[in-house]
This record gives sequence, structure tokens and C-alpha cells, in this order.
Amino acid sequence: MVESIVSTGVAIGCIYALIGITYNVMFSASRVFSFTAGTLGMLGGVLGSLFIARMDMPVVVGFLLVLAAGALFGIVTEIVAVRPVLKSLDQHLYVLSTLALALIVQQFTAIEWSTEPQPFPRLLNIARGGFDQQFWLPMLACAAVIVGLELLYRHTLVGHAFLAIAEDNFAARALGLPERSLRMTSYALAGVIGALAGFAGGEMLLAYFGNAPMLTFYGFVPVALGGMGSNRGAVVAGLLLGLFQQTANFLVGGVFASVAVFTVFIIVLLARPEGLAGAAFQRRV
Amino acid sequence: METPATQTLPSRAKMLGSASAFGAALPFLALLLVGVSFPLFGGGYWGVIATRACIYWVLVSGLNLVVGFAGQIAIGWVALLTLGAYATSVLTAGNLTPPFPPYLALAVAAAVGAIFGLIIGLPALRLRTFYFAITTLGFATIVTQVALAWQSVTGGGVGVAGPIFPEPFSSLWGFYYFCFGLAAICTWMTANVAASRFGRALTAIRDAEVAAEASGISKPALLGAVFMFSGAVAAVAGGLFAALQSYITPDAFTLDLSILFFIAILIGGRGSILGPLLGTILLTALPEFAAPLVAWSTFLYAVLLLVIVLAIPGGIAEILDFKNRRPLESERAIIPRPDLIERLLGALPDAGALTLEQVALSFGGVCAIDGLDLEIRSGQVHGLIGPNGSGKTTTLNVISGYYAPQCGAVSLNGAALPVFARHRRAHMRIARTFQTPRIVGSASVLENVMIGGTVDGEGTFVESLLSLPRHRRDEVMLRDTAMLALAAVGLDRLAAVRADRLQHSELRFTEIARALMLRPSFLLLDEPAAGLSADEIGRLGGLLLAIARAGTGVLLVEHHPDLIFDTCHRVTVLNLGRMLAAGTPAEIRSHREVVNAYLGG
Amino acid sequence: MSMTRRQALKSAAAAAIAGGLAKPAIAANGPILVGYLPALTGPSSSTGVGINRGIQLAVQEINAAGGIDGRQIELITRDTQSDPTKAVNGAAELTRGQKVSVVFGPVNSGESLAVVPLLARTNTPQVHPCWVDSLTDPQKYPMCFRNAPTSQQIGAAANRYVVEVLKRKKVAVISDTTGYGTASVNAYVPMLKAKGAEVVYQGNVDAANPDLKPELLRMQSAGTEAIMPWSVNAGFLSRIINTRGDMGWDVPIVGQTTLGSGQTKALLVKPEYWAKVYPNNFRPVCYATDGKLSGRTSAFVDRLKSAKIDMGDTLLWWIAVGYDTPRMIAEAMKNVGTEPEQVVGYLNKLKGFPGVYGDISFAPDQHNGYPDNEVVMVEANSLRDGAFNLAPGYSA
Repeated sequence: MVESIVSTGVAIGCIYALIGITYNVMFSASRVFSFTAGTLGMLGGVLGSLFIARMDMPVVVGFLLVLAAGALFGIVTEIVAVRPVLKSLDQHLYVLSTLALALIVQQFTAIEWSTEPQPFPRLLNIARGGFDQQFWLPMLACAAVIVGLELLYRHTLVGHAFLAIAEDNFAARALGLPERSLRMTSYALAGVIGALAGFAGGEMLLAYFGNAPMLTFYGFVPVALGGMGSNRGAVVAGLLLGLFQQTANFLVGGVFASVAVFTVFIIVLLARPEGLAGAAFQRRV
Repeated sequence: METPATQTLPSRAKMLGSASAFGAALPFLALLLVGVSFPLFGGGYWGVIATRACIYWVLVSGLNLVVGFAGQIAIGWVALLTLGAYATSVLTAGNLTPPFPPYLALAVAAAVGAIFGLIIGLPALRLRTFYFAITTLGFATIVTQVALAWQSVTGGGVGVAGPIFPEPFSSLWGFYYFCFGLAAICTWMTANVAASRFGRALTAIRDAEVAAEASGISKPALLGAVFMFSGAVAAVAGGLFAALQSYITPDAFTLDLSILFFIAILIGGRGSILGPLLGTILLTALPEFAAPLVAWSTFLYAVLLLVIVLAIPGGIAEILDFKNRRPLESERAIIPRPDLIERLLGALPDAGALTLEQVALSFGGVCAIDGLDLEIRSGQVHGLIGPNGSGKTTTLNVISGYYAPQCGAVSLNGAALPVFARHRRAHMRIARTFQTPRIVGSASVLENVMIGGTVDGEGTFVESLLSLPRHRRDEVMLRDTAMLALAAVGLDRLAAVRADRLQHSELRFTEIARALMLRPSFLLLDEPAAGLSADEIGRLGGLLLAIARAGTGVLLVEHHPDLIFDTCHRVTVLNLGRMLAAGTPAEIRSHREVVNAYLGG
Repeated sequence: MSMTRRQALKSAAAAAIAGGLAKPAIAANGPILVGYLPALTGPSSSTGVGINRGIQLAVQEINAAGGIDGRQIELITRDTQSDPTKAVNGAAELTRGQKVSVVFGPVNSGESLAVVPLLARTNTPQVHPCWVDSLTDPQKYPMCFRNAPTSQQIGAAANRYVVEVLKRKKVAVISDTTGYGTASVNAYVPMLKAKGAEVVYQGNVDAANPDLKPELLRMQSAGTEAIMPWSVNAGFLSRIINTRGDMGWDVPIVGQTTLGSGQTKALLVKPEYWAKVYPNNFRPVCYATDGKLSGRTSAFVDRLKSAKIDMGDTLLWWIAVGYDTPRMIAEAMKNVGTEPEQVVGYLNKLKGFPGVYGDISFAPDQHNGYPDNEVVMVEANSLRDGAFNLAPGYSA
């Protein structure tokens, strides 16, 4: 029983962490938290089911198409909902534009795909066992993203540029870094990560439009608790959240479990608005 | 309250006020007329839709102060509708207590709503926008889950019957008039607040938070009041909603409903009452006209929201704002009238001196100020000059309370200024302007200036809601003073214009007028001459001298040698956070190091 | 446009006033307006979509046969989107705007709870198929009739099957956290106990919870001999069935009718997992031991087939209850006319109306018209054209 709670908790925690990283990658490039992070996760599941189960594509082709679609949606987010409002960051218009875009995609999916959860295909043709692929695939995806991002940030020029932009937007622009294309690349990357999260977790979460708001919330918890922009914080907090949620579900039951998660989230945020690991932001006048 | 005696200017202000007040009230009167006579041309079905629109508006009117005016992204306000609906229904049904009469239940629900409005809203003081938006969504989920779980009281999934209001409000049209009446009262109350110092303070918190602080606006107190009001009316809307639905279950309170409320405000336009009112009517009625599109309604709302945000951020209110589309004169000169300063500021008592002693501050190892001594005396202009990065603005920010000095002391007449209590500065009559003007672009110039006098109002938030005499007196006083301040800085002709239509130099003078509203003992000016023409700088100098003559101590942070040497009584020169020299302008002008390092002459 | 603006305003106002004040002219030979409030879109719309097929067919047949005393039935549909607020708006439009003679639906309980009291205020006869017990009350809602079973009947049939047929004494009752789920668990647990069963597990679980294994392990360790899930969420139900299959646990699952829906089937890991799953269903629309439907039902299915109505993606009983409703009303109107009091008076004395879904009878103090013994349990994996075989233990 403990083993089951742990494997599900860690697996679902990995999905939350990946959505958290999706938030972070977009945030680092633009100082914008986008409501589309959870939508990307939802799309990963729905499109995976569409390509592989409904359209009978090979798993690899479907997988690559899902990632490409994620990247595309990331770029669309940047062009439609982020770039036009970046100038007026003070007014927080990005909250509204990304919310609108997330709702548009979510509602469209509900109407055109289904309002009921749809089956997600089995990705690897191996027998179901105790520690099943539906649990270890999200963990693998999470590990791959962490390692990939580390390599990217440490060993590539683009990665250094990302870090520079994240550190100080103005300075990076002053250095002559192509801020706009770096931002678009970041959003594409975030799109890939978000779609990967939904794809890897597809068998657990099913292809369901309602996963979008669910992931938008639970994916933000690791960001808030782990400190914004901190991927390591997001992973730790995501895993803790997954385990906490599964344990609470088991110990106190469904209704109280979600109340418990929300309550802990709000109390921790009020006590430490900068997150458990983050540092306070300096304000400027 | 002693107001400066004025003869000519207020009459102009009054005329301006009453004419625009009538114009602004006209659409509301038209809506009132339509609403009252609605049963004549709407059948029973439209009666239900209209009742629903009224109920939603009761909620949205309050939420509008939170979202539209204060700029807080409260997405999950359906939580309070749910709370109010259950509170009213449960109390009327007597599941928890002996049964309450419906009106009493509604009143109790309002009180409960006020408390929970505060609880749900307070994170806004600690959290940044997106975080706050997510926490409100969290609350919306919690409330529904509690309604599901607390079966003995809420009926759980099976729900509970809504209240039935006794005659004459039990019939369809009777209930409509009840809701319409409450909607009209809410419109009136929120319009009162919007036109009060509290409404202006809210927009200042939204668009120019540092200016709000400098004007002495206490964000916690103000937002607390607004959240309570908004929570109370949302809960009342919930009680009415339960009565209209006749029966409530947790699944009636969808997030889509919350999104509808939120989007109605943004479609209407932030900082407007009429816009969100029209937005609410539009979103409530639209699905009834387009039945085949019903399934797509939330999709269409979202598209509408995106279009509004990208194309017309001002919403319906901006489209309806004909007045501000008239072109302004292109050749405008700012002609201040220093002679009005004395009337504006009156006879200021000698406030002594504002003193900095051995103040030092560094950021992450980089020294910003290092052992600075400064004394600003009443009735004098004190210049603070130095190259970029020499610590001038940092010094201003230490005085304003944004930074705590790591050592040294800042004191007013010997008493230490409290660190970080930024809005307390205004109560001590310390005013300031900013390097980049901090202005509420969507408000008129006059309203922007009136923000500066917020601390001098005496009426409470509740008095403003109900437009009681003290509120009206405050408004007359603030309006008259602001017109006088605008005349003094030479902008009275632009009083009614939206501030974001002004030129940069005009914004600088607007900020000075706003600061003068405090009748400041000390006025801190951060590069007021930047971007001004030579003529304007000359006039600014005259104005500053007049201000000093009235008894105000002025700290002038500036690059412009002419302005400094022509107006200052004393000058301090900074370099790399250290004091390079201090003395009279003549002494500074001949100070060799200063000349070499800075004046380049 | 030759009309001046003033004239246009005047005539518009006059038309509006005339429209608002005029009494509805009930033309003796105009169509009979029948309101219909299904949820055709939104989260729980599969029921509404299925019922809709039956209703449409019945109305077509009635009209093709000459209508009611020469008057055609005009069906006015408002999609409620599974949202109670839209259902209330829709009910207002049907009763106060269109002035319909009778309303069918809503078909989801959450919407009906709000709509039933409203229709009672406008004196509109109503027939709905929702299960929540409080949705009929001849005193409070004298014009509201239910031509489907109540929650009591549904739960009683499932409980009876578990305790008396399967002879299981230790039962686990599980639901999702929706209103329907929590209400069902709370109603059925005491009923089970009264029948002498021991409820060894009782829980509400978030339908989005991806892993129900801990719950099933807990049930198993408590010695559960039958699992009774109450939810309309196919995702949730399939997770229960899948987890049971993965655990290799041979325990019967007895409960909500959605356990047997095509949606649930699509989400199963292996088709074999659907064995020993016994959802609720209704005897008249089930296959007898010879694999055939009863005469009345099989004639109905033939009509469905000739009308090219799809049964593969829905359940036959949904279509059947939809089909029966307009026919029952038409019978009443043929006999006593369209006045609300007359229709209600007729329905109050209705005895054994021969529906495809079941024989419906009402009495002045009994507006629940569905017979107890027609609520049965079936074998989920026998699903074929929307209908099932009876579960083992029922005599044909």
C-alpha cells in the first residue's frame, strides 16, 4: 500500500514538477507566468491519444508530433499572448491574455475532443507489472528534462544566453543578445516540456480537457513553493506535493484531501511569499 | 478643516464638475428608466434573464472595485457567491440554527461575506498578481468542496432549497424589482466610492503604487475595506442567486461563472462603473440571443477577453469615452503662477529640519551611499547633485523609507523617521515626485492631483459609499484645492483631460501639483527638470522658490546646473555615494574638485 | 430606409408592449408546444444525447401519424449544458417565453433540483427521468412526474443483488466527490446495513485521482466481498475496474449504470477486465436468456434501426425512456386535451402505460411511476447495441 502511494505520488509529482519547469522556462525568458502551462500538459495527453490511438500512428511518430505541437503552441503563446503585452508589464495584462488563451484552447478541446476522459494508448508494448510504465515514464521524462536543461544551460551558447536573459533582461539586451528570438525559443522549449509532461503522464491522467485547469494549479504549486525560476526547487516541491496529495487522499479521503492541499499551499505562501527556497525580490523605485 | 480661501478658481471647478457629472450620470439614468419600465416590454422569460443580470451586477459591482479599480486579479470570486448562497439558504432553511427570516439571513450572509472577502483578499497584500490569482482559484475550490462535505448543513450533493422572499418580492416581477433595487443601490454606492478619494487611491495602487504610498495611502487598510465590501455584496448576490435558482447544489457554482464575472469587468474597462455594468448585461444576455452558440459561450468570452486585452485595453469604457478623443491644443505652454502658491500652501508652520546623519547603504557589496550628512531646512531649497550612480535617488529613497540605512540616522526635527513605513511620510507632510512620473494614465489630470490630498479627507470609506455629508465636504475641498494646485503649476486648462494624453513635461508639473496637495513641510523632487525646455526650467525655478518662500523645505535632486544654482540655497554634491562638497551655490561653483569632476567647466 | 428613427422607435416600442401584454393566443389547431431541457453538451451530456434520440423519434412518429387530434407537436429544445443556471434560464424561456404545454426534463439531477420548483410555480406539467428522491413530491410539485426509477429503487436493486443473489456480506461503497456520488454513498450505506450487510469500506475519492490502488488495497485488507461504485464518471469507474484487474482480485463490482457504458469500456486496459462487473439496468431493455429482447422492445429496436438511429455508442434504456415520454404525454392529451390540470389529472390515474422502458403507473399521491422489479443488474461485458444480458441469478 505504501509502495503504491509512493510510486503514484512520485509519478504524479514528476508531472507537477515538469509543469512547474514549464512555468519557470517561460518565466525566465519573459518574467511572465502563463496560464497556458497546464494547457500544454493537457494537450500532451489529448494529442497523444489523438495521434496514436485515434489516427493509428506509430508511437514514435505520435510522440514527436506531440512535442512539435507543444513547441508550436508555446510559440503561439509567445506571439499572441505575451509579446503584445510585454510593454505594459506593470498592468499585469499578461495574466489576462494568457488566461484567455488557455481558456480558448481548453474550451475548444472540450467541445471538439470530448468532455469525457478518453483512453490514452499504452506506449510500450510490455506487460503490466507492479512498477508499471505509467509510473516510471513520468519519472523518466522528468529526469530527462532536468539533465537536458542542465546540459543546455551549462554547455551550450544558447543555454548561456537563456541564463543571461533570466538573470537580467535589460543587461542581456544591452549586450546585444537577440532577446526576442531567445524568448520565442524559450517558449517553444517550455511547450515541449509541458507537452512531454502530459504525454508521459497520459496513461495516468487520461486524455481529458479537465486536466488543463488541474495542472495549471497543481503545476504552479511547485513554482510557488520552490521559488520562482528555480527548477530544482520545482522538482523537490513537485515530488513533495505528489506524495502529500496521495497520502492525504488515502488518509482523509477525496474531499478533504484537496482542501488540505489548497490550505497548505495558501498558508505556506502567506508565510513565505518568495517560496520555501527562494529569495525575496528587491523592489525598484 | 481649513481650506484655502479662493474666489475665482473653484467656480470653474464646480462648473467643470457639475457639467461632467450630469453627462456621466446620463447613461445610468437611462438604464434606470429601462430597468424600472422593463416589465412593460420584456416577457416573463426576459424577466428572469434581467433578474439574473441584476444579481450578477450586484456581485460584479463590488468585484469591480477589486479588479477594475484596485487591479487585483481575483479570478475565483464565485467562492463568495457560493458562500452567500449557502449562508442565506441554510439560515432560511434552519439547518444550523432556528430558521431566519430571509432578509435577516441575507444580512447575516453579507456579514459572513465581508469576513471571507477579507480572508480571500488579504493574500493580495503579500503575493504578486499571478500568485494571488491562483489562490483565489484555490478558495473557489475549497468552498465548493466544503459545501459537498458538510452534508448535515449544506445537503451535500443533493443541495438545499434557496430562500423565498416574502410578498411583495415573491412573484417574478416582485423579485426582479427587489434585485433591480439592490443593483441600483450597488451602482450608486460603487459610483460614490469611485468618485471619492478611496476610488482614486485604488487606481493609484493599481497603476502607480509608489505614488500611492508617497501620498499616504495605506494599501492594507484600503484594500481591506474594499475586499470586505466586495465580499459582502457578493454574498448578497449569492443569496439572491439561490432564490432565483430556487435550489442550489455545488455544481451550480462553476468556474465558468467566475470567469464570466471577471471578464465582464475587463470587457467593460478598468476603472469604470458604466463599462462593467454594460459588460455584465452583455455577457448575461448574449447566450440567450445566440442559442446555437450556447456551448461555445465560454470560448467566445475568452476570445473577447483576448481581443480586449490586445486591442482595446480600456474596454467598452474607452470606446464610450468620446470626451477624450477631442484633439488637444498642440502648442501648449505651461505657465505656472507662483503667486497662487501662498494661497495654496497657506502659512506653513516652521517644520524645522529633515536631517540625515552618517547614512550608509550598500547593495550586495556595492556601496550606494557612504556616510552622507544632509540637512534640509524649512523654507530653503537644497540641491543634491552628482553624476549618475552617485546615490542621489538612493538618498531620496532612504528618506522615503524604501531602504533602511545600514548605519546612520534619518530624523525629522530630532525624531527618527520610521523605516519602511512609507505611507507615514505623507502624514508627516513629506511629499515627493519621481524620476519617471508615476501617474494614473486613465484618470483625469485633476483626479491625479486629488490623489495627493488623500490624507486630508476626513470621511470614512462607509461615508463615501453612502455619500454622507463629510464625504461630500471632502470632495469639494479636494477638488478646490486640486484646481488651485493645478492653476499654480499652470495646468488648470488640462484638468479634465486623461493624464496619459499629456506631454512628458506636463506630467512632471502634474506630479508637483499632486505633491503640493499635501501642503508639504518637505518636498523631495527627483530630477523635475529632466525633459523640460529651457523656458519651462526657468519657470520651474520660480515655482520652487515660491514654494520655499511659503515655508516648505525642498530637496532638489537635479542634473541641471542652471536650475540648481539659480534656485538653491544650499547644495550638496555626491560622487560614488560620498559627499564631495556642500555649501552655498557660490561656494560649490568655485569648488575645484566639483568643477573638475562634475561641472566640467 | 424611409422610416425615420423616431417612427422606428415608436413602432418597436409598440410591438414590444403588445408582445409583452398580449395573452398567448392558444390556437385550437396550431402546434402543441412541448419544451425539452436536455444537457446535450457539457460534462455529463451522454445521458442527454441518448435520451434525445428517443424523444426525437417519438415526436416524429406522433406527428407522422397525424399528431394529437390533428395538431402537430412542436418540440422546443434548450440545451442546458449540464449547468443548473442555464437550466433555470431555459425553463424560464420555455414556460414564460414560449408558454409550452408541458416540459420534458431536465435529464440531470443537479439541473432538475433547480428547475422542478420553478416549473411548479408556473403550473407547467413536467415529466423527468432524474433519480434523486426529492424530485417528486405530489404535495409541493403536484404537476411533476417521474417516469424512471428513484435513487432508492436503483440502490435497492444493487444492494439486493449483492446481498441476496451474490450473498456477499462485506461490502465496499465508493464514489467520486461530486454531488451525485456523495449523496449516493450516504443514501445507500444505511440501506445496505439494514439488509444485514457489513460496510467495511466507505469513501469519496477525487475523480481525477489517477491511482485508486491504495483504495482497493484498503478494501481488500478489510475483507471486501463486493465493490459498489457510485459515479457517472467513466474515467473514475474504469480506474476501479482496471485496478481490480491489475491486482488480479476476483471481486464483483456492482453499481452505477455507467459501469456498462461504451465510455467506460473504451478506457479499460483489457476487455477481460469487464467480467464480473454488474451495472444497473432495466429488465424490459435487456436480453433474455435466449439472447432476444422482449417483443415490445425488439419492435422498438427495429424501428430505431429503420430510422438509422445509432445505438452502438449509447445505452438502449436512455433511448427508450426518451421515446416513452412524448408518447405518454400524447396519450394523455389525446384523451383529455392540453389544459395542464387535465393532463395532470389524467397522469394521476395512469395505470400501466406500456412503455418500452417499462410500464408506468401514477397515483395522485405517487408520482414515481417506475415499477420496482424492473430495476435489475446486468453483465457489463454483454453490451451489444446498447443492451445487456441480465446478470446471473435473475430468472428470465
